[in-house]
Amino acid sequence: MGSLKEVRTRIASVSSTQQITKAMKMVSAAKLRRAQDAIIQMRPYANKLREILENLSQNLESSAGGAYTKVRPVNNVLIIAVTSNRGLCGGFNANVIRTVNRMIATRYNELNKTGNVKVWSIGKKASDFYSKQKTMFAGQSNTLFTELNFANVAPLAEQFMKEFVDGKYDHIELVYNHFKNAAVQNVSAEQFLPLQPPTSKEKPVNKFIPDYIFEPVKEDLVKELIPKALKIQLYKSLLESHAGEHGARMTSMNKATDNAQELLKALKLSYNKARQAAITGEILEIVGGAEALNN
Amino acid sequence: MNLEIITPDTKVFSGEATSVIVPGKAGVFQVLENHAPMLSALRKGEIRYKTAGVEHNYAVETGVIEVLKNKVVILVETV
Repeated sequence: MGSLKEVRTRIASVSSTQQITKAMKMVSAAKLRRAQDAIIQMRPYANKLREILENLSQNLESSAGGAYTKVRPVNNVLIIAVTSNRGLCGGFNANVIRTVNRMIATRYNELNKTGNVKVWSIGKKASDFYSKQKTMFAGQSNTLFTELNFANVAPLAEQFMKEFVDGKYDHIELVYNHFKNAAVQNVSAEQFLPLQPPTSKEKPVNKFIPDYIFEPVKEDLVKELIPKALKIQLYKSLLESHAGEHGARMTSMNKATDNAQELLKALKLSYNKARQAAITGEILEIVGGAEALNN
Repeated sequence: MNLEIITPDTKVFSGEATSVIVPGKAGVFQVLENHAPMLSALRKGEIRYKTAGVEHNYAVETGVIEVLKNKVVILVETV
């Protein structure tokens, strides 16, 4: 047990740390609400787009999806790793990096040996990690999260789509934190390209398909819509990751505040013990002194 | 008829409209009450819709319009 002064300085430092974590938690809670609102705003668009695409692909005889659905032999793989720009959010970023590494080590092990697996990082934390591995690093975009809106994300999606069509990559995988709720984020790996045909859960037989007038013809319309669907998929995963980041930070800061509280409790106890011991010591001295005088 | 104009970031308009003029890929066309079901891609231009006699404009980059049972949904991208 330290001296009184030592304990007092520790109490002061722990409680000021606690103030910081509490403030960070509050800030994250506010940002989380905004991020969730953005997801809710995006949902009607995404749902409607998927609905239209499903209607269309049921009307089509073959999957005339064009260049974006073409499955090629996989020679070059791009993995898009979505993390956050800032830390202090628990295992949020480490989970993504671990998933990407595991994916490289298992599924793409053979390709990785020849250097055909690349990683594109979104968010500083993945960039910090993968920019050190020069052969693997394809590029980064870290400024997206400062102002996250569709207009900023769309050009990046277009770039990936172009690289896929040009044959630079045959398979593009998207790894991000799926936002379940404020406390739970699941890392999910999705196939970004080639686009998998929309699989509707309900039986298409029961579904009424309206007799649409198509303008231009169906095939062209599908080609129009698929890039939109891809952009929305990337945008959605970024929004999810953004909300997840704040959720993760909120929970981890909440835990940090609780831990600081516990630490403070223990410190106060030892502080009081030390104080009490000092007082007892003083009384003993006084009593001893008085006793000596009386004798 | 009911009109909804939606972008990925926000809902621009939702409510009753009497007329919608959109820049379709194959040419500008107007949607009025009881229009047949229709799916069309949009090109760069302007959506003009009339609500209670007042005309509004909205610029689009690309988009898609769905007309079904007096419900018009326009998904737009503005860049």
